[in-house]
Amino acid sequence: MSGLIVRRLVQLPLIVLCVYTITLLLAWKIPGNPLENPEGRRPPPEVIEQMQAQYKLDDFWKFYFSYLDNATGVKWVRQTVSGEAARQAEAAKAAGLAVPTRRVFDLGPSLEYRDRRVNEIIGSSLPVSVTLGAAAMLVALVVGVFAGVAGAVKPNSLTDVGTLIVALVGISLPSFVIGTLLLLVFAVWLGWFPAGGWGSLSQLVLPAVTLSLPFAAYIARLTRLGMIEQLSSDYVRTARAKGLSERAVVLRHALKNAFLPVLSYLGPATAGAMTGSFVVEKVFNVPGLGQHFVNAVLNKDLFLIMGVVLVFSTMLILFNLAVDVLYRWVDPRIA
Amino acid sequence: MLRLGIPLLLLAFVVGVSVVSDRPAPRADFVYADATDVATLDVARMSWMQDLRVARLLFEGLLRNDTLGDYSPAPAIAESWDISEDARTYTFHLREGARWSNGDAVTAHDFVFSWRRALLPDTTSDYANFFWLIRGGRAFYDWRTEALAEYARGEARSVEASLALLEETYRVFEETVGVRALDDLTLEVQLEDPVPYFLDLCAFPVLYPVHAETVRSFERPDPATGRIISQRGWTKPERLVCNGAFRLAVWRFKRDMRLAANEHWWNRDSLAIDSIEITSINDANAQVLAFETGVVDWLTGVTPAYRDALLDGKRAFYAEHAEEVTRLQAMGLDRFEVDRRLPSDPRNRVHPIPAFGTYFYNFNCLPYLTDGRPNPFADARVRRAFAMTVDKRMVCEEVVGLGNPVARTLIPPGSVAGYSSPEGLVCVSDARTPGEREELVGRARALMAEAGYSDISTFPTVELLFNKDAGHDLVAQAVARDWERMLGVQVSLQQKELKVFRDDMKNHRFMISRAGWYGDYGDPTTFLDPHRTGDGNNDRGYSSEAYDELLRRASKELDPAARMEILREAERMIVEQDLPLIPIYNYVTLYMFDAKRVSGLNAHPRTIQQLYLIDMLGDGKGRDQPVELGFKGVFP
Repeated sequence: MSGLIVRRLVQLPLIVLCVYTITLLLAWKIPGNPLENPEGRRPPPEVIEQMQAQYKLDDFWKFYFSYLDNATGVKWVRQTVSGEAARQAEAAKAAGLAVPTRRVFDLGPSLEYRDRRVNEIIGSSLPVSVTLGAAAMLVALVVGVFAGVAGAVKPNSLTDVGTLIVALVGISLPSFVIGTLLLLVFAVWLGWFPAGGWGSLSQLVLPAVTLSLPFAAYIARLTRLGMIEQLSSDYVRTARAKGLSERAVVLRHALKNAFLPVLSYLGPATAGAMTGSFVVEKVFNVPGLGQHFVNAVLNKDLFLIMGVVLVFSTMLILFNLAVDVLYRWVDPRIA
Repeated sequence: MLRLGIPLLLLAFVVGVSVVSDRPAPRADFVYADATDVATLDVARMSWMQDLRVARLLFEGLLRNDTLGDYSPAPAIAESWDISEDARTYTFHLREGARWSNGDAVTAHDFVFSWRRALLPDTTSDYANFFWLIRGGRAFYDWRTEALAEYARGEARSVEASLALLEETYRVFEETVGVRALDDLTLEVQLEDPVPYFLDLCAFPVLYPVHAETVRSFERPDPATGRIISQRGWTKPERLVCNGAFRLAVWRFKRDMRLAANEHWWNRDSLAIDSIEITSINDANAQVLAFETGVVDWLTGVTPAYRDALLDGKRAFYAEHAEEVTRLQAMGLDRFEVDRRLPSDPRNRVHPIPAFGTYFYNFNCLPYLTDGRPNPFADARVRRAFAMTVDKRMVCEEVVGLGNPVARTLIPPGSVAGYSSPEGLVCVSDARTPGEREELVGRARALMAEAGYSDISTFPTVELLFNKDAGHDLVAQAVARDWERMLGVQVSLQQKELKVFRDDMKNHRFMISRAGWYGDYGDPTTFLDPHRTGDGNNDRGYSSEAYDELLRRASKELDPAARMEILREAERMIVEQDLPLIPIYNYVTLYMFDAKRVSGLNAHPRTIQQLYLIDMLGDGKGRDQPVELGFKGVFP
């Protein structure tokens, strides 16, 4: 097991580097100038020139290496080891100037939000997305597993067909439709929940439900399939034959094995849910990370694009690793 | 089974921690929504509407626009000012009681520091060119740019060398740039040329002061490049020191910004609200929902797809109360006061406001297209013919449907005091009878024939460029059909993504393109300058000696009336004679607020709102009496 973890952790930087290179190449090719307002006037050309020099946007390789240097913490280590950081701080203090702030992983300034650094943007929006994603996965797991089990216990019954239809709707309907419907019914007509925003438990409910539906549907289908397969297997027949209650057979024996495919699905699903959904965030006005995936590209905010991509790919790899570890733990047959 | 519960428990834990640690604050006195978060609170680097709006709350400049009156420059930090006879030297006398939010006095030195900072190329201010109007400003900018380039090339790059360069820079500024603090309360500004709208500029947030001591403590020169690096910490709530009516209490990215009354503001007693909250709601529909559920009091721009239906609702409401509306109007009440006195109705909470901007189509005026073909639109007669055959009324009424006024000129009529717009070119929608319309089309065709296209089939396919959002496609289809029907030309529609579109425009890769322009300050030049030869915003590639000469003459003219006359002639050139563009309609902004609850917003086409003037009616704070607006407003 520890071998697996070490192997994966060694692979991580290589995979992230590939992702970084490909993404930056693509992002660099996006037409347009990120330093201009998309509407109306442009700053004088002299000013644009200064901005480009400041952000190293005038040369691809200069940007490529300096960003990598800052984001991976190499620069931090170098400056600390060589003592250059201490020297600069000293000189600044002596001259009565600001002592440079240093971050280990510096993802750069945002070009769009001029007062923010990418670290700060991700730092404030990632917890929001993680909370929303966790709540959605919670709902999805509970609803999905129960629906799946209920359907599998009595295949082709009314319950089974009912959950099948709901799951189909959950997968097929896009979240902006579900979200808008939920808003209309529960926020505008019934007034049970606020119409969006972030901060209280009541504001979490509607977006979490919206975000959970496709996941719940998928989990329900996975659970049902697994359960039907397990319930017709030999060890279940044995368990029934030795007189165990149906409840114990289903929950203790069959579900445990039927859950394995769900578990392997949970890794990427949780990473996906926790890094935000553009649509759900837009409909419910949730200040999460998902919006930056789209908006940063539209604005060609290079630092932000690279920041969210690096964070997302790292998270994805780590979640998959976590699931693999869990998997082995739950099912000792896989070694 | 227990093991299977582990993921559930982990997830529940995450949700629980987050919910417990994050408690919402009580509602502010006045809440408004913007589509996107404020980009910066550094006034020198602002350029977005929502940033400027907040800047007017947090900071105060030398002057302010009298927005509830006639928009003329009014005293703010400067109590009075003198202008020299040659109109090149302005002396501002600062108010004695003006304080920063930490209690420090606001002095003339703050302005010198702030303007020097905005002028430095290191700051990369979008509006740096405003400071180039000051004597020596442009030369200083170029000197510093060159000095930085030299530093980067040079060998001696060190902390000491970068500090020496900075010191030299400050010395050169002091010696060559015309901004001086004569004493703590007297600021003298010398201009390169007379700038009749300079007082109006002094009310523009980019010229507001920042707290020198705080900002300086976040700046240092970079030993590698010599450039001043400004760490972005001083605009955070716990650090920002400001001199306006409010101070920054909370600013959570993409969530909310909360302002609290600044106890040190000299005019604190005039405030009728103690707190303002700005939420950023990106989705247009979510904005309207937030308003309808009472979460926000004012929407700065209503843009959902059903906005024309909202407006129709208002029109229907007015029609139901036609008599009452006419009677109230006749009493000389402003339009919000009229709304206040009408019966309560949810339909009457949407307010279309004429804006300080115009929607138009650009012609590429260069002799050749970027692919090397000769450009048919280099000929002004062709441009005129195309401009005459746009049915603007149809576009306004049938396509846009927001009650936009048809534009015949670039500058929205009545938006600049003392300026009277030229007539503008007559177009087909001005025709009162079908016969008149026929005649106009005939004249347009004759112009085409004069330009050598008597056989219209020899005219190349017209490429019409626009970006894919905001209904530009519908306008383009309508206009293309006009040209196909009336002139007999072929039009190919080219819809592109916004960034690509902007790139094409900048590089003149188009024949005709959609465009728009909002004015920055209260003078015709804010609309006319972008048509000057070589201007950075001259997407049209329009170049006319005579036009440039008119603008030059206007910049030297000291008599305001004569100057306006020259500028009028310049605008006449571009909207009647040369037509580098076709003005189509003036923009309209849709506000949403309940006039019975909110007072202090104005309906002037400059659309500057100073929200410290807001009074929530009936909340027991402030006067609780609606303010009478100087500009009564255009009734929808």
